[in-house]
Parts: sequence; structure tokens; C-alpha cells
Amino acid sequence: MKMNNDRETIIELEHIVKKYTSRGFFFGTRGNEIIALNKISIKILKGEIFGLVGESGSGKTTAGRLIVRLEKPEEGRIYLNGREMAGLKGKALKNFHRKVQMIFQDPYQSLNPQLSVFDTISEPLVIHKIGNTEDREDAVWQTMKSVGLSPPDDFVNRYPHQLSGGQRQRVAIARAMVLNPDFVVADEPTSMLDASISAQIFNILIEMREKFQVTLLFITHSLSAARYLCDRIAVIYKGNMMELGSADQVIQKPRHPYTKALIDALPKFGLSGKVKHYNTLLPVEREASEHEGCPFFARCRVANKAKCSLERPLLKETDDSHWVACFYAENGTEKGF
Amino acid sequence: MNLEKSHKRYLKKFPWMDRLRGGWAIYKQNLLGKIGLSLLVMFALMAICSFIPPLIDPMYQPMTGVDPEITKSTGPSLRHWLGTDFMGRDLLSQLLAGTRVAFLVGVSAAFMSIVLGTAIGMVAGYMGRFVDTFLMRLADMIMVMPTMLVVLMLAALFGQLTIWTIVLIIALFRWPGVSRVIRAQTLSLKHRPFIEAARVAGASHTRIIFRHIMPNVLPLSFLYMTFRVTSAIIIEAALAFLGFGDPSTVSWGMMLQWVWKTGHMFKAPYWLLPPGICISLITLAFYMLGRAMDEVLDPRLRKEAGTE
Repeated sequence: MKMNNDRETIIELEHIVKKYTSRGFFFGTRGNEIIALNKISIKILKGEIFGLVGESGSGKTTAGRLIVRLEKPEEGRIYLNGREMAGLKGKALKNFHRKVQMIFQDPYQSLNPQLSVFDTISEPLVIHKIGNTEDREDAVWQTMKSVGLSPPDDFVNRYPHQLSGGQRQRVAIARAMVLNPDFVVADEPTSMLDASISAQIFNILIEMREKFQVTLLFITHSLSAARYLCDRIAVIYKGNMMELGSADQVIQKPRHPYTKALIDALPKFGLSGKVKHYNTLLPVEREASEHEGCPFFARCRVANKAKCSLERPLLKETDDSHWVACFYAENGTEKGF
Repeated sequence: MNLEKSHKRYLKKFPWMDRLRGGWAIYKQNLLGKIGLSLLVMFALMAICSFIPPLIDPMYQPMTGVDPEITKSTGPSLRHWLGTDFMGRDLLSQLLAGTRVAFLVGVSAAFMSIVLGTAIGMVAGYMGRFVDTFLMRLADMIMVMPTMLVVLMLAALFGQLTIWTIVLIIALFRWPGVSRVIRAQTLSLKHRPFIEAARVAGASHTRIIFRHIMPNVLPLSFLYMTFRVTSAIIIEAALAFLGFGDPSTVSWGMMLQWVWKTGHMFKAPYWLLPPGICISLITLAFYMLGRAMDEVLDPRLRKEAGTE
């Protein structure tokens, strides 16, 4: 899908800061502060699949949880269709929950073991008091068919423990889709599933986008999954945005050393001789800088001690809507690799 | 679309019936459970039969019926299968009436304490912070109070307590244990993704507690209920034996008190033994039921049974 800049923004994160404070040793004291997200700004356009890629603990799940209001940011604002969502109350809040849904990582944990498949999928309809019993049945049957749980008759009366991992995740997707939301956060929906089922789930997500015009935020640690699904990809590291661009730009022409390291880390099957290695990761971490330097400084081979450890690189547009937060982004490809 | 509508759907009204059946299949394999259940069925039959003797002859009334020909305690005979007490009342009809009271006290006190304990435990666990601290300190305070002593003091203060007052007091003193367990369970459920999924869907706190948390803690509540029945029956029996029971009802504890009070303790085993054995057996039966249910609810065992 070709990107054009005049498309509407559906979700916008503006300078989001999220900190977690561990509890201190004494009552009332505060322990260490961990910054999960550091001034992240993202604009997600209507109808796209936006990928958020990073390693474990990079804050990508936190970003998703902030959008669906499971967490509150310390600083910054989040807009849905241009409307700030922090102050939503009552009816507006309920309406918000109708428009924004989430698919969770672990299908073994995200379904209530005591609710049947029908009860699970129809639950959002009941919460929002949509339709009568028959309408709800219609909606559930339709949604189940579209996520590949067919014939629905075989599944509606089952309980989660009677389903396989892939079927459970389909139920979870159906639950998120049954309200016909505008925006869905998919938080590593396939990390607990094996490869062939992952591919099926990806195809369902793509189908959903076409059928329901839904916008997706796809959170993953796998660049290959992101490339398969996403229109645009953002790479974050320790809560900082490192690189943002179209899927092709980020994966074919990565500019940030961290993105390059992620691509190096992908297992390559039978191509070891032909594939170019960027080799940007230091084998041994160097001492982290005491100043507010580049977050990736400690692990970066390209880093210049005089510059990177003292100053934080800002996100800059290198070429057509491809943003990178590295001092050596522009000439990086030619120099030193 | 028309085709869609005409398609007959197969949606079960009560899909949980299947799970109940599955649970029963596991329960059936448990010897303890089978013994406990058959004992309980026996006691239930006894409770139902308690209505029969008074219909046959007014002298079989457990409280008021007196055999006109008997003035002292007599042993078993054809006329009185278990014998009579010191004033000629039939012991069998007393024993049967006592079964009814034991069930009434045990089940209703346990049920009330379970309802209270589950509600408080869920609210404390889900709300957290101040509410949690307040409710749990309250639970601690009640938990350390010796139930027996407080009931005895209340009885001394207000004179004879009716059976329902006793039930209520037992319920009020027995919820903290349940609520602690339910709170712990709720705490572990609260952060599970399916609760978060409900929050994302826009469910209210009440809906999350009752629709998503309650079904998950209810099996545990019922398990605790079987153990609470045991303790309620024992407390009631002890109270009655000490002379603080409801004088207008015949309970097993009351029968034991009469044996002791009239000095028949070592003279009339036909009077002393049946209520004693019944108290032991019914508590044992409820305990066995609880143990068997415990195994049904244990997911590790469920997997072993391989029903799915």
C-alpha cells in the first residue's frame, strides 16, 4: 500500500512519557524509576497497519496499553480522531471503548476460562447494550466466520480449555472485532503460537483490515512479521523511538544501527554467504554514558564517544518520510560497515 | 442474508451443564467422595423422615409427645426403636428431628458466611488500597475472636438464643477465613489478561467482579462451604450441649445435654451414642465431600483424568 501524507490520523501519541516506580525499601520511599517510554510521538493513519518493533522491555507493549487506557501516561497526550482521550468520562468513555480494542499476547490467559466461546464473543455487545439476543447471535456468528471459526455451531458452546492455541487467538480476535472497532491494538498476537498458525492469524488480521476498515497497531519483536503485515514500522529501544518509516524503508534500507542489529539477529536460512551483515552490535557492552546521551550508545559499534555519549540524537527525516534518531544515519551505510 | 437466517443455530442454553457433568465424572471416581455423598443422602433421608413419626401417633412428637405408659428412660423396644428419654419421649423421632436441625444450621450458616466472605473477599481483592486494608483488618479482628466464647457471652447477656440467632452469629464469625482465600484468588485473577480484556471492552467494575471474577472464585467458595458446614454443626452442637441452645428445637447437641443433665451418661448408651455418632458422621461426610470436590477443582487432577 502506497503511503500518502494527506490521509487522516486516527491515533496520535504526543510526547508520551511513562515511568514505572519500584517500591522502595521503607514505607513511602520510592525506589528506582524505570522509564518505559521516553517522549514518544507517533501518528497512526486511518486504515494502515502500523508496526511497533523492539526487543523485550523496550516499552512497545506499554505503548499499546496506554492507547487502550489500561495505563495512564505521566506526560503527554493521546488523541483519538483528534480528540484527547485523557479526560473522557461517562458516555464518551464508553464510546471510546467501543472504538478501540485490543488483542492480547497470550491466548491462554486472555480468555475467561469460565465463559463459553459465545459468552466471550458476545460480552462486548452485552456491555454496550447493542441489539437484542438475536442480533447478538447474528453478530457473533458473522464475526466467528470471518475469523475462521467455522462452522460456528461447532465452537459456540465450547470453553477455552477445549480449544487449541490458534482457535483461542481467533476467539480473542473475534471478541475484539465484534464491536466493529476503528482501531485495534494487537500485542504480539502470535508470540505464543507456532509458525504456520501465526501465518493464518496474520492473514486474518489483513482480511479484517480490508473487511472492516480497521486500523491496526501491530506490536511485535519480530521484524519479519512486521514486514509481512505492516505498512509502516517504528523501531523503539528502551522507550525511545529509533527509526520510523515504511516497512520497505526500514527493512531494506535501515539507517539506525539498532535496526541493523535487529535485522542481523534474524535467522537466515541457507543464505549465510550471500546476506550482508551490518554488524553494528558491540560484542561487549561498553560503560553507559553518564550524560543524557544516545540510549543505544552502550551497545553501538558506530558510536562516537565524543558525540553520542554526550548528546541525544533527535529524530530526523533522512529521506521521504523515513525518520532516524542517529547522528550517523545519513552517511552510515557507506562508512565503516 | 436470508439463507443466513434460515440456518438453524445450535446454541446451548446452559453450556455449563456439560462441565458439571464432567466434574461429576471425576467426582464419581473418588472413593471418599462416594462415601461422603452416600452418608449425606442417608442423613437427608433421615431429615425427610423426621416428619413421619408424629403423623403416626402424637406421642412420637419429638418435643411434646410423651408415652403415657413410660415415666423413665427405657431401652430399645418395638414401640420405641431407640428407646425413650427420662420422661418417655421417643428417641428416634428426636434423632430424626435433630438431623433436620443439623442440616438447617449447617447449610444456612455456611451459606451465609460464604456469601458474606465471597463478596467481601472479591471487593477487597479487586478494589485494593484502602478498602482492602480496612476489610482485611476487620477480618483479622473477627478471626482472632473465639467464636464459642463470644456466643456464650451473648447467650449469657440475652438469655436463650433462637436457632436463627445462632445461625446468624456463626455466619458472622465464620466469613473471614473464606474472604481471605477469595481475596487471594481475586488478587491473582485481577491482573490476568482476560480481566484487562473486559476493561478494554468497557465493562464496569461491578460487571467485572460479578461476571468475570465471581465465576472463577465460586467453585472455591463452594468448596469452603462444605468445610464451613462442618464447623457450624459442631458449634451448634457444642452450644446446645452447654445449655445455650434453642430450647424449642431438638438438636443432637440438645439430646446430649439431656443425657448428661439427667444423669444417664453412663446408664443409657442407647440414648448417648446415636446423637454422638450422628454428629461425627455428618461432619465426616461433609468433610469427605469437600475433599472430593477439592480434587475435582484441582486442574492438575482434571488434566490427569483426561476428559478433554
